[in-house]
Amino acid sequence: MEIYLPIAEMSVHWLVILGMGFGVGFLSGMFGIGGGFLLTPLLIFYGIPPGVAVATTASQVSAVTFSGVVTHWRRRTLDLKMGAVMLSGGLTGTALGVYLFSVLRRMGQSEFSVSASYVILLGIVGGLMLNESLRTLRAMRTGQPAFGRKPGQHNWIHGLPFKMRFRESRLYISAIPPVVLGFVVGILSAIMGVGGAFMMVPVMIYVLRMPTNVVVGTSLFQVLFVTATATILHAVDNYTVDIVMAMFLILGGVAGVQYGVRVGTKLRGEQLRLLLALLVLAVAARLFVEMVATPADLYTVAVGTP
Amino acid sequence: MKRRLLLAAAAALLATLPAAADEDLVSGVSQDVVEITSNYTGTDLTVFGDVEQPEDAAGRDIVVVVRGPDARITVRRKDRFAGIWINNARAQLIGMPSYYFLASTRPLEDIAAPDTLRRYDLGLDNLRPERALSDGSIDPYVRAMVRALGKRGLYVQSGTAVEMLSATLFRVRVPVPATVPRGSYNVQVYLFRDGNVVSAQSTPLFVDQTGFDRRLYTFAHRWPFSYGVSTVLMALLFGWASSFLFRRKA
Repeated sequence: MEIYLPIAEMSVHWLVILGMGFGVGFLSGMFGIGGGFLLTPLLIFYGIPPGVAVATTASQVSAVTFSGVVTHWRRRTLDLKMGAVMLSGGLTGTALGVYLFSVLRRMGQSEFSVSASYVILLGIVGGLMLNESLRTLRAMRTGQPAFGRKPGQHNWIHGLPFKMRFRESRLYISAIPPVVLGFVVGILSAIMGVGGAFMMVPVMIYVLRMPTNVVVGTSLFQVLFVTATATILHAVDNYTVDIVMAMFLILGGVAGVQYGVRVGTKLRGEQLRLLLALLVLAVAARLFVEMVATPADLYTVAVGTP
Repeated sequence: MKRRLLLAAAAALLATLPAAADEDLVSGVSQDVVEITSNYTGTDLTVFGDVEQPEDAAGRDIVVVVRGPDARITVRRKDRFAGIWINNARAQLIGMPSYYFLASTRPLEDIAAPDTLRRYDLGLDNLRPERALSDGSIDPYVRAMVRALGKRGLYVQSGTAVEMLSATLFRVRVPVPATVPRGSYNVQVYLFRDGNVVSAQSTPLFVDQTGFDRRLYTFAHRWPFSYGVSTVLMALLFGWASSFLFRRKA
């Protein structure tokens, strides 16, 4: 059955939207990512106007992450204090990012800057994760001590002031790195139209050295607030949030995330990271090919937008 | 006496002859409002009409045009820099129709001279914006736009779609896809005789959302903040409900 979307002003098949929500929700439950970087391109590919796709994805991501946050809260795999510290930087960064994005859009370069930031960031993040998880898996197979968290190890982060104790993460570190991380991810997520968990998770693991089990819940917590803010900003500034499409995406998404979380807890951290790395690299490669390949039509046409 | 009578008869004949010879047109549309509801997937309209005081059918042609509300359209051209395709130039076309359907009894170029077609904005090749902002010729941009909207089913031209039911009675099926913009449309029917427009008729048509969709659209545009907050609340409610439901099941 086809349904008409009042904001996108087109009709779609509800099962397709529901299915996309479910699939992306499953992956986000499994990896602890919001899934925006997968859902937005999928919706655009299906024919949804890019503005509506970005804005409505934000609302789906906030539903999926809320569901995940509740689950992690119950399992006590969420560092609320760390999440709040990161969020203080994250919301400031989002506001700045929304401004930057409007400047880029006026220059007609929003499309290119979105694709380019996707390719660069997904490429770096995916490459690092792939390298690390493969090394860990190989080390485990040969019986060598696994590369990973070394509790006694100190790095440059421990020299910074404003130290705070994060009990759930078993860390005593400066508040500056989490705030800066939240800020940077906030800017990037506003420009790229995603929550940004896929960028935060590796930094939290490798730089902050948080235990993997609390990383997922904590990043979801930050993404929840960033995407909820983004949804409201998009609704107010651009009128591009389609609540009917959001409903179907959310229904599929919240069901998917529950199965994803269950599968995720059964897999080992290294395996999860290997899979996520491959997924991230695949998206980056696809976008890169799109930027380099000669387009079928050199002209793009936008109706009714400045 | 006889001569005067003849003159009078001739005068009367001259007075009535042109009137009697003038072909005229009556036409109508099956609907004057297209209502977009939550299960709207596109529809078909029928434009129909009849030729009055018909003359010889040989030199007669009928052209039906449905034109949607004007839109501001931005067309961007990509160029290659260091192997990467980047939007480099753009044109803004103002006053192009957001929907354009044309049907005729024969291909347009057989019906009238290019000048005539251009004067009446007939045919996809003759659509020109009222105003355009561009750093060069707008022609490639306009062509790109006609191509893109044609692919979306919003620009249609057919040289055979006018169906003659009898010598004078005609009918045209107009496909209205699900992506049509809302607004006021205009249905124009032209009667051509030997390459000239001898009669034209215009009927307004409205496309609008109704019911639940209309209310949502109004809500989103009039109270955007509350609309955004409602969407987020709905998202949180579903998220919370699902984690609750699935915990019970597990």
